[in-house]
Amino acid sequence: MKKESNTRGVLMFAHNNTEIDYFRLAVVNALLVQKNLGIKNITVVTDPHSLAQGEKTLGKRLIKKAINNIVVVDKDIQFKAKNQRLYKDTSHTAKYLPFYNVNRCDAYDISPYDETILIDVDYLILSDTLNSCWGHNNELMMNWKFQDIMYERKDPSLNRLYDMGITMYWATVVYFRKTEYVESFFNIVKHVKDNPQYYKDLYKWHGTLYRNDFSFSIAAHVMSGFVDKGIPQLPTTLYKSFDTDDIHSAVDENTIVMYLEKPRSPGDFMLTKWQGVDIHIMNKWAINRVSEELLEYAK
Amino acid sequence: MSTRLTKALEFANYRVTLNNQQAQLKAKTQSLLSYSINGGTFTIDLTLITFCKQLIDNSQTEVVLLDIYNNPIKVDVESFYEEIISRYYEVTNNYYAEYEKLRKSRKVHKVLDLNEEGK
Repeated sequence: MKKESNTRGVLMFAHNNTEIDYFRLAVVNALLVQKNLGIKNITVVTDPHSLAQGEKTLGKRLIKKAINNIVVVDKDIQFKAKNQRLYKDTSHTAKYLPFYNVNRCDAYDISPYDETILIDVDYLILSDTLNSCWGHNNELMMNWKFQDIMYERKDPSLNRLYDMGITMYWATVVYFRKTEYVESFFNIVKHVKDNPQYYKDLYKWHGTLYRNDFSFSIAAHVMSGFVDKGIPQLPTTLYKSFDTDDIHSAVDENTIVMYLEKPRSPGDFMLTKWQGVDIHIMNKWAINRVSEELLEYAK
Repeated sequence: MSTRLTKALEFANYRVTLNNQQAQLKAKTQSLLSYSINGGTFTIDLTLITFCKQLIDNSQTEVVLLDIYNNPIKVDVESFYEEIISRYYEVTNNYYAEYEKLRKSRKVHKVLDLNEEGK
């Protein structure tokens, strides 16, 4: 039987690196969550430096308005130095920067809610469709299917951990309830995070970068009884743009106009208006560039 | 480049933009045609609407329907039908209006609802 006071909330992780202000993105997205999902319970996990930067540039008042629960944790400096990822601001600019994602496996322990939607800060909430997750029979849901918003572009390498490996789930949006099963799921995620070399040998993902998509996919495989695609998908489609794309402008709190790189013509773009559907924007600089406009619309 | 070729390339660019914009509109419509109730999720389509109407005509009140995950969900069919039919009307009417607007737009900036300066 469900508890009478069932709490629901959104959880995000925001750790800045030298170039990308993830905390700012979290504030923007928190305001979009409030506006479009109508959810006030928002928890952001951050570190002292990212929070201080946010307070300096955005002000304590705005942060308080956007986020009602900030959890401050210390960073694992060694991991930060080791986990470097190639970030792109369109095909014209590429940089290796630290990618701090080590504590996402703690989402279950950190979340103060009975029902949580865990989202990336760059998964912009432009609609209320995620509200359909609340009270769902499935205690854990995440997507393995995604749709590039440039419909002609296809990248089959994103479908599996390696060509003949298990299906890749995206940890971009995860719905979970606090149950024993979900707790065990997150324990597996932590085990993968703590023993990456072992799991890399077993599941054969490419490269040295630690990605939550990998650890969540492996946990999904294990917790489904070693069955592929065993964890149900969210009732919403995961729409993605890539880091080779850019944002032209934010029109209002649920519309953005984007530059999408043409598939057969790198560095050349077409425009698209994206309205009323949540979207994962991989180009973080692009969101930061329109963050003032988004803050203004979502405030 | 000749004027004719420039015009043809402009038109090609317009078609790519239009196709993508139509796909976006379809994506938005599909997401709005998803309805969650009693822990299950349903896609509102003609089959579901017709089946529910059939159940009501057969004097059924509480029925079990299979949702998109094939999980059995018990619903009060009358209120469920009212909800899905009204959503279906609302969403498809909006889809029609926006689709027609797109169909009549013959320039990239009009497809995107921007002015000629791109603002």
